Amino acid sequence: MESRILQLIAALRASGVRVSLAESAEAFSAVDLMGIQDREHFRLSLRATLIKDVKDLPTFEKLFPLFFGSGQPPMMGGNPMDNLTPEEIQMLVEALKQYAEQLRQRMERLMNGDQLSRAELEALGQLVGLNQADNLNYQNWMAQRMMRALAFPEVQKALKELMEQLAQMGMSRERVEQIRQMIQQNMQGMQEQMEQFAGERIAENLSEKPRGENIDNLMNRPFHALSDEDKKLIQREVKKLAAMLRTRIALRQKRAKNGQMDPKATIRASLKYHGVPMEIKHKDRVHKPKIVVICDVSTSMRFCSELMLSFLFALQGQVRKTHAFAFIDHLESISEDFSGADADEAIQSVLWRMPSGHYNTDLGWALNDFNNEYMDTLNSGTTLIIVGDGRNNYNDPRVDIFSNMSRRATRTIWLNPEPPIMWNGDSDMAKYAPLCSNVLKVGNLRELANAVDELMTG
Amino acid sequence: MSILFDSTSTVKTELSKQKYIASDEIATIVYLSHKLGKPLLAEGPAGVGKTELAKAIASATGRELIRLQCYEGLDESKALYEWEYSKQLLYTQLLRDKLNDTLGKAESLAEAADKLAKEEDVFFSSRFLLQRPLLKAILSDKPTVVLIDEIDRADAEFEAFLLEILSDFQVSVPELGTLTAKHKPFVILTSNNTRELSEALKRRCLYLFIDYPNLQEELAVVRLKVPDLNPKLAQQAVEFVQKLRKADMRKSPSISETLDWANALVALNASNLDKAVLEETLSVLLKHEADLQKAKRQLMAPPPQSKPRNNDEFGRFSGN
Repeated sequence: MESRILQLIAALRASGVRVSLAESAEAFSAVDLMGIQDREHFRLSLRATLIKDVKDLPTFEKLFPLFFGSGQPPMMGGNPMDNLTPEEIQMLVEALKQYAEQLRQRMERLMNGDQLSRAELEALGQLVGLNQADNLNYQNWMAQRMMRALAFPEVQKALKELMEQLAQMGMSRERVEQIRQMIQQNMQGMQEQMEQFAGERIAENLSEKPRGENIDNLMNRPFHALSDEDKKLIQREVKKLAAMLRTRIALRQKRAKNGQMDPKATIRASLKYHGVPMEIKHKDRVHKPKIVVICDVSTSMRFCSELMLSFLFALQGQVRKTHAFAFIDHLESISEDFSGADADEAIQSVLWRMPSGHYNTDLGWALNDFNNEYMDTLNSGTTLIIVGDGRNNYNDPRVDIFSNMSRRATRTIWLNPEPPIMWNGDSDMAKYAPLCSNVLKVGNLRELANAVDELMTG
Repeated sequence: MSILFDSTSTVKTELSKQKYIASDEIATIVYLSHKLGKPLLAEGPAGVGKTELAKAIASATGRELIRLQCYEGLDESKALYEWEYSKQLLYTQLLRDKLNDTLGKAESLAEAADKLAKEEDVFFSSRFLLQRPLLKAILSDKPTVVLIDEIDRADAEFEAFLLEILSDFQVSVPELGTLTAKHKPFVILTSNNTRELSEALKRRCLYLFIDYPNLQEELAVVRLKVPDLNPKLAQQAVEFVQKLRKADMRKSPSISETLDWANALVALNASNLDKAVLEETLSVLLKHEADLQKAKRQLMAPPPQSKPRNNDEFGRFSGN
């Protein structure tokens, strides 16, 4: 049982759920306490201790029955021979004789109503290469391959013929129907068994899989060459970066000493002077960082907009006063989309709402929108971050608005996936760049990390 | 520790005595959290009874409920403790004579200083410590239930500050040293899932996700809390709410809103959920104008006339 729980934990980890050592220890003490007699209690004690995120609940619900069974064995129909009269059995045997030896054995196997034995399942699994599978998406496919190895489709066809033949030979309709249903049930049962087995085996393989890919390998991979799992890993890393950036921005803000008078501090200071308030203390006005981010999600940026948006998402989670905007040909506020807790969903909703078109990027117009509606979000204490390649399709770049914006904001940072050498053609980057406090090239995670580092030391 | 919660079924019955209907899931996890002495992190949409659960646990165990409502900018001086400077000052003023007495007998300055040092503790004692909710829970003589409500509203720094309290149930006050809880409080954190909590915090808690209840569960809650509502109407009302939740609303009605609505129906002495009653009371359930309009359009419109439809075999697929 213990090793089974450990396997489940390993499989959870391999599926991208973060389970710490403390949590797995906790799971064991919970199981000790609740016992394993009651399946539901057992499941809940594992779930409450191991899973700490709604997003991970489905993974757990999927894996749990694979390690601890689904609670009931598959229903088998039973052996139709049991309640047939001797004549009817005779008929069945006669009818079966016409089939080739191999097919007949298979049909008979289905008719005796026994479950597949462990050895049979193992052999089938071996045959279809189940031992190499380590992705639960393959569960049904593997089960199907196992069924095909048992020649299910052929057997099914043959059985249909057999039934017709029995009817012709004079067996009563109800009787034939009864046999058919039992065999159907048997097939169903075996199918469930195979699906369960395939799932179990894949989950076991999953638990033996070496720990996930090192984040270092992903650092240098360009954003467009990432798998879903990689993205999850990267999102986690991005979240850390956002947290670092937040702290840095917060520290950079000078602590103002000109707030309201602080009576407590004043009284405390006056203790030095025998209760005479010689020093008037003021409340520290704590500066909360404020960020305004404008992100280009046009075609030329699509390959990295997902990652950039997840960066924005993480940033918004860290910094309450974040205003996020996205633009292609006009500006839209996306802060609302980012108010949920699921990064993927938020990002998809933004990308879906703003489908990319052809050559319709217009930063100038987006800036104009910003000028009309959101200029008041920028004030002293705001950091303005622009994410984009500055490719404007020869539209008016509206440098006037941009310079106004950068003057209002404390700091203007531009994250651009292209290096300066590529700022030609329809790129207006060269015009914007002098107005920014920093222009940084960000094309993969390492560069994003470096950019955050630079912002922190700069 | 109270002996009330000695199995999951007693958790369930005790909570239902407090008019809280706990599902098996909730009962099991509450029991586990109680036995393991771990904080319970309850997450879920707004208004599904997370806060109510804490209140029910407190009254079921007969413990005092200490509540800390989180908000942006909450810091330890508001959550944990603060020195009461004005009181300290007042005491020094009033005790001046006494101090003179004590120190006056000293022969040398050094002796006076030593004497004063001995009395130092008086001024930095828990007498001058203004207890905020968390310290109150830790110093309490009786076991308590601590509710840290809507932790997702507090800043990330505050989460970090909670870690020491949640794992060891102790706090460090620089002037006094470390204060450890006499009785481990039963800690319940709630979150509306508006932002992701830190791994470190989640690691220290047991996780309970409370979702909207299904029809039977919600009906049971309504029947329990609003017994005056007639059963048929209750059934209709709950069905209506469940339907609203399935529709894409800006804010789905919560259980507490269902209860408000049920109370409103009782107050209006409604006998049937007809259009007039709905028009009047729907604003109890839906708080956004857009949602109201939408609900009026979609749900209260007369059922669409069953259009003559060619009964080809794909008919059932063209329905939506």
